Amino acid sequence: MERRNEILDQIRRRPGVTFRELARELGIGIGDLQYHLHKLEKEGKVFSKKIGRRRYIFPAGFEEEAQRLVIAISTETRRRILLQLMEGPKSQGELAERLGVSQPTISYHMGELEKLGIVEVVREGRSVIYRLKHDPTLIARIIRDYRPSLWEKLADNLIDLLTSMGEGK
Amino acid sequence: MEVVLELLFIALALTLVGVSYLAYKKSHLRAALYFLLAFLLLAIKKVVELSKDALRVQRDVSAIVDALEVVVMILFLLALWKR
Repeated sequence: MERRNEILDQIRRRPGVTFRELARELGIGIGDLQYHLHKLEKEGKVFSKKIGRRRYIFPAGFEEEAQRLVIAISTETRRRILLQLMEGPKSQGELAERLGVSQPTISYHMGELEKLGIVEVVREGRSVIYRLKHDPTLIARIIRDYRPSLWEKLADNLIDLLTSMGEGK
Repeated sequence: MEVVLELLFIALALTLVGVSYLAYKKSHLRAALYFLLAFLLLAIKKVVELSKDALRVQRDVSAIVDALEVVVMILFLLALWKR
């Protein structure tokens, strides 16, 4: 029981932790961890979400936030935008230049991230500056472990191709 | 050889259907949906052409094939226009 509480505490401290990370951080064997996580999930204290090819574990009460994060990091360009914004606020032009994608593509993705409440828009004179509105540690952790499938990579490229032709939807 | 190329065409068209579906699911861009339908119709068109040769279908399918080609072109146009 003590072991299970230790696992739960760690998940609460680090929401979005992966199974492997959790096992490593707590020094628990795979079988042991699987058993306790299964019990915790059954008790409704934690839940897991598959993002890309990895399964991330969140504490209960984190459902809405986890869902928003899943959508936020679901495309390659959005992940790259978020990583850029971790360095500090940036304008649309700066992001487009650094990532080598068109401004309409950046505009489309920023609109989606803004709707999700992950970034905020600040107007400074004539330019529009974007900055992160979410815990960067959590975003960084999920992006770091994210492993998209080949299908996802192809779909992401198609989205960028379509959005670069104009204004998103 | 011709059949192999035609089967390859169908496989590629269906791959693009899958990619377009995933892109639509992620983005809800209408253009991705038009792409999906266009690639799906291309695959269907090829199946119709192939079955005509393989099964010796007696009916003339050229009207169906031509109609499918026109719809595919319209869908590509829509994907560019209604972004």
